[in-house]
Amino acid sequence: MNDHVAADPTVTRSTVPAHAGTESEDLGAPLYVAWQITNECNLACLHCIEESGPGKAFPDELDRTQVFSVLQQMMDLDVPYLSFSGGEPMLHPLFFDMVEYICQRDGQLKIETNGHYLSPENCARMKELGVKAVQVSLDGASSATFNRIRVRGEFDRVIEGVRNLQRADVPIEINFSPTHFNVDEISTAVDLAYELGAYSFYTGRTMYTGNAVKTWKRLAASEAQYQIFFDALRAKTEEYRGRMRVYFHESGLLEELRYRLQHPAALLIVLPNGLVKLINALPFICGDLRRQSLREIWAHFQRAWQDPRVAQFVDDLAADPGKTRTLHKWVYL
Amino acid sequence: MQLAKFVKFREEKFGGVLFETRSEKVFTLNPVGAAVIGEIKAGGDSQAIAARLQDRFSAPPGAIEREVGEFIADLRRRGLIED
Repeated sequence: MNDHVAADPTVTRSTVPAHAGTESEDLGAPLYVAWQITNECNLACLHCIEESGPGKAFPDELDRTQVFSVLQQMMDLDVPYLSFSGGEPMLHPLFFDMVEYICQRDGQLKIETNGHYLSPENCARMKELGVKAVQVSLDGASSATFNRIRVRGEFDRVIEGVRNLQRADVPIEINFSPTHFNVDEISTAVDLAYELGAYSFYTGRTMYTGNAVKTWKRLAASEAQYQIFFDALRAKTEEYRGRMRVYFHESGLLEELRYRLQHPAALLIVLPNGLVKLINALPFICGDLRRQSLREIWAHFQRAWQDPRVAQFVDDLAADPGKTRTLHKWVYL
Repeated sequence: MQLAKFVKFREEKFGGVLFETRSEKVFTLNPVGAAVIGEIKAGGDSQAIAARLQDRFSAPPGAIEREVGEFIADLRRRGLIED
């Protein structure tokens, strides 16, 4: 053992997907797979990046055989961390079968849900299976604001669902999307998350993507509102230090994409039909799990980030933020 | 001593990665660090791990035991291992 090596055993530390020091190209497989398992949703949220909603399932979503082939590959490659989102992932007919498979193979799984199907029975099942965490979207501290952004949403039902998670002792994360009509509730929302037993609270600027492009005038918080919002979050971060983590990102979409161009995350975004995106907020597809193995796609992922069309798209986005309208017009790399 | 509940380890060509999934933080390990984690997973205390690693790495007497102890203390401080 070299002295300097042993004295420096943990070389770098960073938050995923910002994976400093060792870049994703050095890794044999992704560290994180975020799988949008269905585009079907019971809600039609004003800001939904996926433009999910009732009847919005893709016609070609993966079937049972394909789903379990993908899961098997993820576990065989030792992907340490997965998340299921949607749409509403709990509407997927194989939801609990998929959860069970991952947990039995010792994968760490997070469920990102709108919280409308968190019955006591479902929460108990998730606890029994060993789900790592359930992240619930809670964009407000009152039904008036929550129901306004979460079209068809029921604030009280979500609160009851989170309490069911708490009773079942499932780790809870809360996600909050700011708008001009809910930013004033941020402090109360953080307090509510803590009272509900959350161990993490996530927020950041709402992105001009998906449904938000169509509803921006009804949604967008002003820069002045954001400054007050982030000041409140800084205070809450300190207030809850050691009890609940408060995470927030002040940078916007463009800054994030420019950073990713230089430092691709070790993250694959899998769509309901098996297509694999470079990153959620770009239209680029770097693989198709119906035709390629996860290993092949991971190898291509690194090259795909270097495709000049990716950097060009980000440059164009700086001049025309409306280019995010084309997010769902996929470009194959 | 074992990896904490929400920590996953994977070997890589450069050594390995520890992924703390609650905070979503990644810790990159060089080959020696990865070897220590492998031994922690295999079981045993700090001294036993150092003894096993002595057979794999050449180092001055006492160096491995001291450095493994420091590394394990660091892992414990970061919440990556537990008893």
